[in-house]
Amino acid sequence: MRRPDRTPIDTAIAIAVCALVLLCLTNAYPLVTMHVNGHSRETTLAGAALGLYAQGYVTLAALVFLTTMLAPFVQVTGLLYVLIPLRSNRHARGQNALVHVLTRIRSWSFIEVFMLGALVALVRLSNFSNIVPRVALWTCALLMIVLAALTSITSTEQLWRWIEQSRA
Amino acid sequence: MAMDRTEPGVSGTATGRSLGLLVCLNCRATVRNVKAPHMRCPRCDARLRERKPHSLAVTGALLVAAAVLYVPANVLPVMDTRTFFDTESDTIMSGVLVLLHSGDWPIALLVFIASIVVPLLKILALGVLWVSAWRRSPRHRQQRSELYRLVEFIGRWSMLDIYAVSLLATLVQIQSFASIIVGWGAWAFGAVVVLTLIAARTFDERLLWDPPQ
Repeated sequence: MRRPDRTPIDTAIAIAVCALVLLCLTNAYPLVTMHVNGHSRETTLAGAALGLYAQGYVTLAALVFLTTMLAPFVQVTGLLYVLIPLRSNRHARGQNALVHVLTRIRSWSFIEVFMLGALVALVRLSNFSNIVPRVALWTCALLMIVLAALTSITSTEQLWRWIEQSRA
Repeated sequence: MAMDRTEPGVSGTATGRSLGLLVCLNCRATVRNVKAPHMRCPRCDARLRERKPHSLAVTGALLVAAAVLYVPANVLPVMDTRTFFDTESDTIMSGVLVLLHSGDWPIALLVFIASIVVPLLKILALGVLWVSAWRRSPRHRQQRSELYRLVEFIGRWSMLDIYAVSLLATLVQIQSFASIIVGWGAWAFGAVVVLTLIAARTFDERLLWDPPQ
């Protein structure tokens, strides 16, 4: 059996706040700018899903939207909504249902895969254009690490253990 | 625990079911199994089930669909690059070759593993697991459980190419100079990834440990 995790809720909240800030920055700023033959184009995180949507691939765009934007956002805000009242032994409205949704949707949060996919795209583009990394590319790399830490210290098991302790 | 001490493969291995214990798939609480038809987990209130209902049928159907779509995913182009002079179609494999020829072999290897090896491995591994659960084969249970966990862990990485293609298609839209159009291969590939991810989740790992009939 696994050793019980003694991480306090406060640590999880701190990391979740950090993830939320990085998530906002990653969504607000452009990822990269491409210069080629006097033209330049830039894209944001949303650009990946919107590019697919613009070309008529609605389901594929929805999949990219779910895995790079919606799932990470629900994962982080949902956790904060549940954990902040929980640290003073109070229960957020709809807590149990939300934790069920939260733990399901976060298995669809693929930020780290997106990050590597973006690198592959940039390597391919750098063969014929000048690629300038922008703010969101760096915050996305940090977000990848912070989200991995957050997911591991707020395992489904741990979340329910906290809830169970607060009932006692 | 008793389960760990029993040698794998020996018939009569103690399982949760044989000890009257049940794990809640939602919160991982271990519950003493009262044989009530609609039992709920005392900790998280999720429905407790001895085995996921119709696990083999659902997983099998998803797996067949994924295997069928694997063909167009690899044959159809994932993107067309249109320039002044010509149109170039790239399948997943030719995308890997392009990276290899431009000298980026570590990236080429990464894409090769994530887009070619992982989906194929997942379909084959889930196929093997499905057959051994269906036959209730008592051999190599430990290794098969490990294989299942591996499939669950690596599954998401095949999305890599979808993200790369979608960013390329967004960035490379430079009037008449060059544009990248997403192909139906990307759609089929995305479908393979999602179907195998869901198939891994509908598969009940505990079926691997059921005693032979």
